[in-house]
Parts: sequence; C-alpha cells; structure tokens
Amino acid sequence: MAPPAEVLAIRGLSKTFPGVRALDGVDLVLRPGEVHALIGENGAGKSTLIKVLTGVYRPDAGTVEFQGRQVSFATPLEAQKAGISTIYQEVNLIPLLSVARNLFLGREPRTRLGLLDFARMNREAEETLRTYGVRVDVRQPLRTLGVGAQQMVALARAVATDARVVIMDEPTSSLEPREVETLFSVIRRLRDAGIAVVYVSHRLDELYAVCETVTVLRDGRRVHHGRLSELSRLDLVSTMLGRELGEVRAEGLTKFSGDHHAADTEPVLEAEGLTVPHKLHGVSVSIRPGEVVGLGGLLGSGRTETAKAISGALPIRSGKVVVAGTSLRGGSTPGAIRAGISLLPEDRKSEGIVPGLSVRENIALAALPRLSRFGMVSEARVDKIVNTFIERLRIKASSPHQKVGELSGGNQQKVLLARWLAMNPKVLLLDEPTRGIDVGAKAEVQKLVDELAEDGLGVLLISSDLEELIEGSDRVVVLKDGAVVGELTGEDVTEDTLMRTIAGDAPATAATKEVATDG
Amino acid sequence: MQRSIHRPHLLARPVVVALAAAVALTASACTKSEDDGSDKQKSSASADTEQKVVTPKAGSKTCTIDAYGAKKIDLKNATVGFSQSEKEANPFRIAETQSMKDEAKKRGVKLLTANAQSQFSKQISDVQDLLAKGADLLVIAPLNSDGWEPVFKAAAAKKVPIVTVDRKINATACKDYVSFIASDFVEQGRRAADQMIEATGGKGEVAILLGSAGNNVTTERTKGFKERIAEKAPDLKVVFEQTGDFAREKGQQVTEQLVQSKPGIKGIYAENDEMGLGAVAALKGAGKKAGAVKIVTVDGTRNAVNAIVDGWISGVVESNPRFGPLAFQTLDSFTQGKEVAEDIIIQDSAYTSDNAKQDVGKAY
Amino acid sequence: MAEATVRTAAPLDKARILQWLQTYGVYAGVALLLIVNIVITPHFLSAENFRTQAVQVAPVIIVALGMALVIGTEGVDLSVGAVMALAASVLALYLGYGLLPALIAVALFAAVAGLANGALVALLGVQPIVATLALMVGGRGIALVMLPQLEDLHNPSLASLGSGDIVGVPYLILIAAALAVLIAFVVRRTTFGRQLLAIGDSRPAAQLAGLPVRRVLMVVYVVSGLLAAVAGVLATARLQASDPTSLGNLMELSAITAVVVGGTPLTGGRISIGGTVAGAVLIQLLTATLIKHDLPPSWTQIAQAIVIVCAVYAARGRGKR
Repeated sequence: MAPPAEVLAIRGLSKTFPGVRALDGVDLVLRPGEVHALIGENGAGKSTLIKVLTGVYRPDAGTVEFQGRQVSFATPLEAQKAGISTIYQEVNLIPLLSVARNLFLGREPRTRLGLLDFARMNREAEETLRTYGVRVDVRQPLRTLGVGAQQMVALARAVATDARVVIMDEPTSSLEPREVETLFSVIRRLRDAGIAVVYVSHRLDELYAVCETVTVLRDGRRVHHGRLSELSRLDLVSTMLGRELGEVRAEGLTKFSGDHHAADTEPVLEAEGLTVPHKLHGVSVSIRPGEVVGLGGLLGSGRTETAKAISGALPIRSGKVVVAGTSLRGGSTPGAIRAGISLLPEDRKSEGIVPGLSVRENIALAALPRLSRFGMVSEARVDKIVNTFIERLRIKASSPHQKVGELSGGNQQKVLLARWLAMNPKVLLLDEPTRGIDVGAKAEVQKLVDELAEDGLGVLLISSDLEELIEGSDRVVVLKDGAVVGELTGEDVTEDTLMRTIAGDAPATAATKEVATDG
Repeated sequence: MQRSIHRPHLLARPVVVALAAAVALTASACTKSEDDGSDKQKSSASADTEQKVVTPKAGSKTCTIDAYGAKKIDLKNATVGFSQSEKEANPFRIAETQSMKDEAKKRGVKLLTANAQSQFSKQISDVQDLLAKGADLLVIAPLNSDGWEPVFKAAAAKKVPIVTVDRKINATACKDYVSFIASDFVEQGRRAADQMIEATGGKGEVAILLGSAGNNVTTERTKGFKERIAEKAPDLKVVFEQTGDFAREKGQQVTEQLVQSKPGIKGIYAENDEMGLGAVAALKGAGKKAGAVKIVTVDGTRNAVNAIVDGWISGVVESNPRFGPLAFQTLDSFTQGKEVAEDIIIQDSAYTSDNAKQDVGKAY
Repeated sequence: MAEATVRTAAPLDKARILQWLQTYGVYAGVALLLIVNIVITPHFLSAENFRTQAVQVAPVIIVALGMALVIGTEGVDLSVGAVMALAASVLALYLGYGLLPALIAVALFAAVAGLANGALVALLGVQPIVATLALMVGGRGIALVMLPQLEDLHNPSLASLGSGDIVGVPYLILIAAALAVLIAFVVRRTTFGRQLLAIGDSRPAAQLAGLPVRRVLMVVYVVSGLLAAVAGVLATARLQASDPTSLGNLMELSAITAVVVGGTPLTGGRISIGGTVAGAVLIQLLTATLIKHDLPPSWTQIAQAIVIVCAVYAARGRGKR
C-alpha cells in the first residue's frame, strides 16, 4: 500500500526572536491518519513551531505546505478555517454559553427564518458528544462541566470544523485516567478517519500508546524523526536531553565538588506522599542536613510542583511535610518559611525578584519582621545584613540601591539566595537555579550551593541541566508523571542511569520502583 | 428608646453584619440625631402655603375632557398615580411628594406613588407600572422633557389623563397630556433681580452661583436675572458666574474663591437656597458681617428663610413645590368636564426681611 | 563618530527629561501656577488666600493619601467619595451623643466599609476596581437611607473643628499635614510600608517570599476607608451641615488624579507621598485660577484632563525605559 500523500509538509522553518533562535530549519511531514509525537524539553521550539503553524507567528524562513498548497496563515482563525485545529492545555471556549452553543459556535444550524435552531442544535450536540463518551445536558453552560469533558467538547468542536490536522498541546495534563482512555479512543477514530494528529506530551507512556511517528526537537533543531516504535524509550530520552548513552565526558564541567559529607543523622526534611490533583501522586522525598538531593525527570514530571508543594505555595490534597521533626500545615508559605524552608522559584523574574525595588529591599524582604522593632524597620540592621550578603555572595550592583530589575540574571539569583540566607533556613529548594544566567555566574552559583551544603543546609536541586544535576547531587530522586520512579545513590548517580530510569525500560539497579497509587 | 443599650450592641457585632445592621437600626431610629426633638413637621400643608395660580391671560389655551377624549369619572372613586423624578433627597422633592400624599389623604383619593431615582428608564417603567396597577389619572414630575412617547401610547390606550408638574414635556397639550403646572423659572430669575437691585441699590458688582450645567432651571433662572438687571439697573454688573452644582459645599468653595479675588463684591445671586447657604458659610469663614454682601436665592426652604431672619440673606424667591392641591384641583375640574388651562403657572411668593419672621412657617 | 554619539545621546536625554518630569514635574507645576497667579491674579499674594486654598484642598489630600497606598498595591479605591458621604450621615446621626462618640461611630462604619473592600480584594480575589465599585454605588445609597437629606449641624465642638485654628493655622491644614507626614513615615520606615510596595510591585514574588499579603491588603483598604471618613468629617465640620447627597461626589477621581499626577504609577510598587500632596495642590490651584478669573467651568475640566494626560505621558516614558 503506497503511503497516502502528505497533508502537511513543513520545510526549513526558521524563527528568530531577539537573542534566541527558536526554530532553525525544522522539517516536519504529516500524512493523513498519522498520529505524530512532537517532543522536546523546555525551549526546544515546540510551541514556536505550533504557533508558526497556526498563524500566531510568521516564520523568518521556510515553507508550509497544506494539502498540496503553500500557505501562510495570518491568524489562528484563518488556520482553523483552512482545516488546522489546535487544542490547547487551557480550554479556549466560552464558559457561559451552553455546551451545544460552544460546539456549534460560528456554524449554528438555522431554521428557515434564519433563527438559531436550538432543538436541532441540542439534539445533534448530544449525539456528537455521546461518541466522545460525554453524556451531559448540553443546554447547561460549559463551565458546569469538568475540565476533561470541556476538553472533549473542544476536541469535538475541532473535529467537527472539518479539520484535516489536529494539534493537541499536552491534552492530558488535566485529565483523569479514565478520560485519557476516552481521548485515546477519539484519537484512534480521528486516525481512522484520515485526520492527522500532532500530539505534544511529556508522558512517554502516552506517546508510545497512541503515536506512530515522532519528531524530536532540541534547541530549535530537529534532532530526530522517524517511527516511534523503532526508538527505545531510553533513546528517546537521551535524544531529547541531548546526551548520548555512555558518552565519555570530561569531569568537572561544573563547579560542584561532587561529594558532600551528609551527616548520617535524621533528615532535616521529610516529605511524604505529596498529592496534588493532576500533578503529584504521592511523591516522597527526604533530605539530610548537608545533603544535596537532585530531583530528576522530564519537563512536566512534577519537579517544580514537588518543590512548591513542600514550600506551601501549592496546596496539597494529602501527604505531609516534616521539617526538623515538626509537621507543617500544608498550603502556608509563611508557615513553611518560619519552619526553615526556602524556595528559589523556577520563574525568577515573575515569582522571585521584586523588580522595582532595590537590591537592598529585595534582600531584606523576607527577613523584614526580624529586622524591625515595633513595626519600624531598623535601617542599621538591614544595612548590616545586606552588606554581609552582597560581600559573601559577591553580588555585583552599582550600589545596594540599584533596582534588582536592572541586574543580570546571575546577580538577581544571588540576590534571591541572599534573601533566603538572611532567614537562616534549614532547607533550600532550588528550582533551576542556573537557568538563563551566564557561564561565570552559573559557576559561582554552583559553588555557593556547594558551600551552603558544607555548612549543613539540606538542598533540593532541580535542574534540566543533566551535568549540573548529576555532579551537584549526592542523590537523585527521579520523577515521572508526578510520581517517584526511582532513586539514584552513590555510584549510580550518572546520566546513563538517570536516563534509563526516566525512560523506565531499564530500571537502575538501585532504583526503588514505586507505583503510583493515586485513585 | 434604649439608646445606651443598643449602641454597644452595635459596636460588638461582627463587622460585616454591622453595616447591614446599621441600616436597619437607623430605620428603627436607634440613632440620635442632633436635631432630634426640633420641630421637623414641615409637611403639614396649611392654606397659607398653597400654590396660587397666575391669572391666565385672555385667550390662553384650555382643555376639556371631550377634546382630550377621556371618559368622565368621579375623582373620589378614582386611583391617582404619581411618578416622582428624583430621589426625595432635597427639600423640594420631599415637599412635592408629601404635598401629593397629603392632598390625596385630604380628599380621600387612593394614591399610588413611584420614584425614578433620577433614572429616566426607571421613570418610564414606573409610569407603565402605575398604569398596570390601575391608575385612572396620572400626575408626573418628569425627569426629562423628551422620550415620553411610550408612556403617552400606553396612557392613551387606557384613556388615562396626564398632568405634568414642575418640568414640561415636549409634546402636544390636550392630546398627549392635559395640563402642565409649574413655576416660571425665568420669572423667578427676574424677581431675584428685583430683590438684588433693591438690596444693593442698583450699583456695584454682583456674582451668580449657577446651578448644574445643562439644566433648564439653571438656564432660565440665569436668563431672567440678567434680562432684568440689564433692563432696570445697568450700573449693576455681573462680574462672576461659576457653577455651584446646586450643592452647598460647592457654593461655599466657589464663594471663598470669589471673596478672595473680588473683595469689593456687593451681591451674590444663588440659583438655589443650598448654594446660597454655602455662600453664607463662606462669608462667615472669611470674617464678613451679616449683610455685608447681599445674597438673593431661589427656592424658599426653611433654612434659607431663617437666614433672612439672621440677616445673612437679603431675599428668597419662592419656588413652591406643593403641587398637590393644584394638581388634584385640576384633575377634579377636568374629570367633571370643566375647562382647565393647558399651562398653569404658579404665582410664587417671596421672602424678604419684611415677612421672613412671620412667614417662616410657610417655608418648606 | 561624533555624530553617532550625538544621535544616541538624544533619546537618552528625552528619557531623562521624562523621568525628571514624572518625579519633579508636579512640584514644577505648582511653582509655575503660584508664580503665574502672583503675577496675574489680584489679591492672590495674601495669607488669607493661601489659607483658603489650603483649607479647600485638605480633604482631597487626606483622601489621596489613602488612595496612594491603595494604588501602591496596584489597586484602586473607587468608594472613597461614598465613604465620605457615609461618614457625614453617621456623624449627623450620632452627634446627639457628643462629638467623640459620633467620631467613634464614624470610624467604625468606615473601618467596616474598608474591611468589606479589603475582604473582596484580598480574600476573594475580586478586581479592586470591581470590588470598590460596589461600595461606591451602595455606600452612598446607605448614607442616604440613614440621612435622606441635608441636615444642619449645630455642635460647637464640630464647628470649631471645621473653622478653628492654632496660631492662625486651621485645624484642617494641621490634620492634613500630620496625616501626610504619618503616611510618608509608614511608607518609608515601617515593615508594613515595605511589604506594601513589594506586594504592589510583584504579588507572586511577595507571596512566595512569605509576606502576609492578605493582611497587608486588608489593612490598606481599611486605612483608605478611615482616611476618607476623616475627610468626610472635616468637610462636614467646615460646612456645618451633613450633606450625603453631594458630599464627596467625584472625590475618587480627584484623589486618583492627585496620586497619578504626583508621580505614583498605577502599576504599583512605588508611592510618592510628597508628589501626591503636590498633585492635589496642583489641581486645587488650577481650579482656583480658573474660578478667580471667572473662566467657564468646563475649562477646569479640560485643564485637569491636560494635566492628567501629561502625567500619564511622563509615566509611560518611565515605564518603557
């Protein structure tokens, strides 16, 4: 059987943003009835590719051929009308309109008088949705539906608009397991109907369950494409992360000393069975004083959520966090901070620094109550702390009164570290501490983390930089789809075992396999 | 009243409840107003305060029930609907509504009332509501002069006669409505000018505190005043015209600026009593003596008339809000088949130092 | 080479001018209006006149101080005018017990109003403009239910509060000045002030830094309500009459204008108390100038609009930098 003609052919697509080459000569070919996995880590270029395809961005170079004709969509609506539908993580329908109205929005059936034919609309909507496993009163507003059902309505709507290509951007991130099954059956039906599907997800199990072909992006380039079944999970992970298995690499690329002398004492932090709906399923982590514990896993595996759940920024449904023997009340950031937990958030610019305030104010921010008497700030005490940390962390600013927003990324990160160190924390949660900062500052931050661990702090390190994670951590807890799938200790803290554990097809010897038991 | 017991109770309540509770408590008079006990019986309409009509000029138009096309009814058994335009938050509106109620009670007529709260769309639906509730006759104090067609249509369908008070509707008399009863605002301005001329001796510089911009009352009271000044006392110069928005505080603030920059000002014409009382407050604050600057105002509220007695205000031209007796009398004559005038202009009285003391009881 | 330097220097200078304008423009404007008036307005240069201007602007300054705090948290309080009316009503209703008990009742009502705003914003996450709109509409309604019409007040203590002075300086001016100094101190020197600015600049960061975000927001709205009530009491004392119908009408706009013209950005994170006071004075002088020269009232509105546009333009230049 000859392969059917291409429905979509992308060739040599490039897109540059100031300072970043988001897409660099990317090719992607789709045939009718093909379910194609599009994967890559953060910043690999997936979302840029989707946005170019659907008319949000205009490419700098390259062509898009759709159904044999070269196209260039100016708006997402144009793309949708031509037959390329996109289903985003967040459902983009109208919450207050009825389910049926949403389903038929823009192509409502009319009566002979030109009025909306509600009876027919409701009847057809009900029939259509039943085939998607959604049984609801279609006259109710959309927002009364669960997220999964809403996603099904979005999907049904996308398919009903005569789509030839359906792009799904992490469609299962908020679905229950049962709903995921329904989604898969819908995808298979689309496939059988000759519709091409681009499936973006970080969940390897899902990819292997439903996808036929795969394109792997890394740093804006296509680094692999082909049939998914011909690619082992391990190969897939290593391709994504850009690490060849067994690759010989120079030691000491990072400034980590590698081994800390974790006191053989009671853990300073014990997190047990952290569960957050759709995000974490019983994650447990423990850290001893002076130990750096790495949190490994792909994007979306629950690393950031684990850190946030521990620090009280993300309310947990069940589980507990114990710091130095005292149990924390979940969902309270001030409580966690008082207990000695400090979080350096992943999104430094919007969740970390207060850009309009000075270096001085930023460093003193969390410790203000301790630096005050009767609600009045003691400037002398603030100055003392601020000067100490500017010196110790070698923060480069024109003066303590310079705005933090004007500093380089590395110095911003050091300011945040200073803010937390001023609180004398017991545990530091570092979420991507070196992302987006230059090489010199990166080395400095890494060295600082080392020193802090030497001083007896417990450190949780999250990093997409495998080198950093492996060299910096004494132990690595590996997460996948919101659950712990293994733990690397001692000799096993290597990139190879990490990737194997993530891939899940060759568990590391030391890995303690845990099964998610979330209902 | 157990004030001393209630108040701590209020203090102790949970905060959110307190706000709601306060409203209820206020309604039950659990607060102690400073003016408690003072005579607040302003509503009782005596024969003295009744509106009198300017003798109609010969040949002015009249209307009869036959010409209008309604059926004769006995007012005693009829239901009258009254639609008030603005919130009863100023003395004029309070007295107007009260006078309607008092007159209905006196005549034993059933009265339905509605208040549009200064929203025209509400007034339209108010009137339609009154019709639906079975009003046989309508008295309307219109908020706007235009946009009444839906009401006329609905009233005509039920053959319900309409009398409008205090503000005119742009429509055909004796077809869309029967009569219009009101003061002549231009005439009020003229009479204020007369008082100003008398108080100042017809010489010097005077100021006007204008009402709200774009209001026909403002325009007409200004027109009459300026016309009469130009005609009778050319030596009296209007050197200052600023709006006080019919509000006391604004009148005070503007007057403060005025007396600073024009210390030689002889008189102030305030287009309502509130602004005039604001001017009095400003003059007091500036250390002026009563009567040093002559103030003439329009309306005839009790506070303003009292200020004449105290010597701060020279004269008040009345704008009588007590439309009740005249409106009912008009409806009575009309429903009996008699002729009524299409435009009924009220003869407003005035207060000066000569009559303020004995007539203060007539003020509203 | 020299040419290139010149070319790059030009926009830099423009940015610097804009920044200077945003910080000091309001003071320059006040100075300019003073000079112009001294030259062209008869009887302007007199203690009596300055006293009048200061007394008239005092309530606006007091309300604007609270507004500055709210705007510093990236919020806005539209209910201040209604709270002034509410204060006037409550004052009139409880004055029979004496001035002090009446003031306590006023403070209580204002605090409840502020708490209602604060709860909507801080606890329920309602947009400040929507949350305070409710009270802006409802507050005046409640005030009118309590006191349906203007009522003259004859309390000697209240009268002296409104028109009394200490060595020639009216209480109103002293109170406004004292409050301005107090609020400036709170913003600059207290934990609360710094936390407030951090919350206004970046709420997620403040939250993750463990700041008591909800508590700070609640307090800010309560303070705004209390300051509006103080202004309402003082205006009522000056008028010697409680006028819930028109007292505080459009005060929210005057206060926001004063704050914005004074160089406090609507995006939060920065508060200029000195600028806010100067902003209120600028608008007052502008209005006074036009009234004293008997120009049509519509000119005042146009002139105010021009000042606001200038202020917003200067702020925009700063934001882009």
